[in-house]
Amino acid sequence: MNVRIEALAEATYVTPEGRLDFDAAPGFQESLERLLGAGGKAPAALIIDGAALEYVSSAGLRAVLLGARAAQKAGVPFALCALQPAVREVFNLSGFSRIIAVHPDRATALAQAQPGRA
Amino acid sequence: MTTRRTAVPADPAQLSVLTEFLREFGSAAALAPTQLGNLELALEEIFLNIAMHGSEPGVAPRVEVSLSLNTDAVTMTVEDDGPQFDPLSLPPPDVTASLADRPVGGLGVFLVRKLMDTVSYERVAGRNQLRMSKRLDGPA
Repeated sequence: MNVRIEALAEATYVTPEGRLDFDAAPGFQESLERLLGAGGKAPAALIIDGAALEYVSSAGLRAVLLGARAAQKAGVPFALCALQPAVREVFNLSGFSRIIAVHPDRATALAQAQPGRA
Repeated sequence: MTTRRTAVPADPAQLSVLTEFLREFGSAAALAPTQLGNLELALEEIFLNIAMHGSEPGVAPRVEVSLSLNTDAVTMTVEDDGPQFDPLSLPPPDVTASLADRPVGGLGVFLVRKLMDTVSYERVAGRNQLRMSKRLDGPA
């Protein structure tokens, strides 16, 4: 799975492309942890853009959960946006939508991640 | 349409082989993308459960998957010759726990139950048999 990363001043956008399954989950988790890890400058917000994400399984959910936790620990706002219906359904069923912010698009996710500007 | 069947060793590296098998079936049966996606998720979760937890050291069980299309549903059966294990006996995860308290595992079988219309387990002739069905025009 390819993961596109756009590090902008207002937020870092992570766009996983294709299938976030058991094979892809470890690499994706590593990408998130690298972005949040010590050394570099922490992003202003970490927003996962689901527009190109076609599939997620429990292994993928686990990677997102661990990413959300790492972001919380680092004090970085974390959100998902633009999930396709099938992926959104899996997030809803798993109860993840209650613990991780899910927004319709990047603009909404960004506004919510910056309380001062919302 | 006839039933299609394949078998692989219970090794996580075989997941892509099974996914490809299912996608070929889905395309031949003209399944809707949502239904195919739900079946892919169910197959991944059940297969990995067997591959990660259902074997004795040094012996990978053999996993057989069969798919059949009826007039109103797809039936998928996953069988393995590993130790007796009923995945449906697992307690449901707490899907209301907070971010910090949320366990990182246990969601797979829960999602399978939610996304499939029927799921049943049987131990048949020394094999674990999990049978799932997804209605063709049911709720996605």
